[in-house]
Amino acid sequence: MNTEALKELIYKMADDLLILGHRNSEWTGMGPLLEEDIAFSSMAQDKVGQSWQLYKILHTLGENDPDTVAFMRNADQFHNAQLCELPNGEYDFSLIRHFLFDTAELLKYQMLANSSYTDLANLAKKVKGEAKYHSMHAKIWIKQLGSATPESIERLQQSLDVALPYALGMFEKSPYEKEIIDEGLFGGEEVLMEAWKAEVEKIISDTKLILPDWSTIAPVYGGRKGVHTKHLQPLLDEMSEVFKVDPTADW
Amino acid sequence: MLQSLDPRVNRLGLPNEFDTPMPSKEALDQFETYEAFVQVKEGKPFEHVGIVHAPNEEMAFLFAKEQYSRRGMFCNSLCVVKTENIKVSPYSENDIDIYDSFSGKYSGSTSESFEVFHLTKRGKQHKYEGNVLAKDYDDAILAAKESFPRDKAIMNVWIVKSEDIYVSDEEDRDIWDTLKEKKYRDAIDYKASDKIKAFKEEQA
Repeated sequence: MNTEALKELIYKMADDLLILGHRNSEWTGMGPLLEEDIAFSSMAQDKVGQSWQLYKILHTLGENDPDTVAFMRNADQFHNAQLCELPNGEYDFSLIRHFLFDTAELLKYQMLANSSYTDLANLAKKVKGEAKYHSMHAKIWIKQLGSATPESIERLQQSLDVALPYALGMFEKSPYEKEIIDEGLFGGEEVLMEAWKAEVEKIISDTKLILPDWSTIAPVYGGRKGVHTKHLQPLLDEMSEVFKVDPTADW
Repeated sequence: MLQSLDPRVNRLGLPNEFDTPMPSKEALDQFETYEAFVQVKEGKPFEHVGIVHAPNEEMAFLFAKEQYSRRGMFCNSLCVVKTENIKVSPYSENDIDIYDSFSGKYSGSTSESFEVFHLTKRGKQHKYEGNVLAKDYDDAILAAKESFPRDKAIMNVWIVKSEDIYVSDEEDRDIWDTLKEKKYRDAIDYKASDKIKAFKEEQA
């Protein structure tokens, strides 16, 4: 088994979940209605919890312990897609990002349930129920607001147009793409992206939103290789503030 | 600028005081309410757990799932019903069976399907009792009176048309499977009393 390829695969997933989980948690107490505030915060916690499980797998592969890995790296050592680190903006953007990300996340876990690496396959089987709820939550919101009022449709459309190039950046190919597919670790970014596009098309076609032709969207790559926007480092500084003051802090 | 201990508030760049007052809101602009019912285990009856506000039943289901199945609350299935679609009987007191206050005879009609929930004691939740066929709500109460043998007095009855119940798809059952290791989510794990005590002593 190619351990470097495996680690790269898991780092990307774990960092996506940690960073987006943190971003989404910024809505806690500020959500558009109480029930949604609770649901969105709860899903943010799910994401951080899933990233923790993935960092634990990385630990068994020789990486540092989860807290150190999560809190002590700088932005250029993170492998999350840039989509995850963008500021929340208004709720329309957070919802669109949630929809684009979690649609891919569910498909990814479904693929990984068949991974040749047992630890990852087992985890994927365990969390795909959570991912399904997250995806369901996103879809129902998009369906609702994507056909509700001129303002809601316009806002979602603008956010969709901003987010799509970053969303395509999630599927940036790994330098180990061939090994990953050949060894049966994961079906690969291409397969995932095609399945994701089909699902996104299906949901968007149920709304008044317009999906541009895929060929007109230039993907924003770089996140997977440690190239990030200026928004990631401040997020990391805030997230690791307590840990950096007192690494033994416990509560 | 408004300064807060919460960095998220600072990022909003709010002024210390707003020049214009907040726009006034229309009266009664809240979403409608839905009642949520949870089945904790396969084979157990659905039990009322609480209310959510939502614009439609799909969203009510979404919200109810997170409100009422988190934090170690076991859940096998969940359904929601719009509050206004629940026909509520009067309440009885002490050991008087509320069904005794309904006289008349069940029509025998099978034109519509209804679900019946019973409250047996003040402070408990309504529990699913069973299904009856009848011509309307009033008829359904009489049908329930005949159908369900009771060893205890029933305090209150809810009647719902079967078609007004929104329940999760069988194929989506796996949304109830979640990571078991969730201690980090529970406030019960934040053991702070020693630290607070030490802090207070230090301040004194």
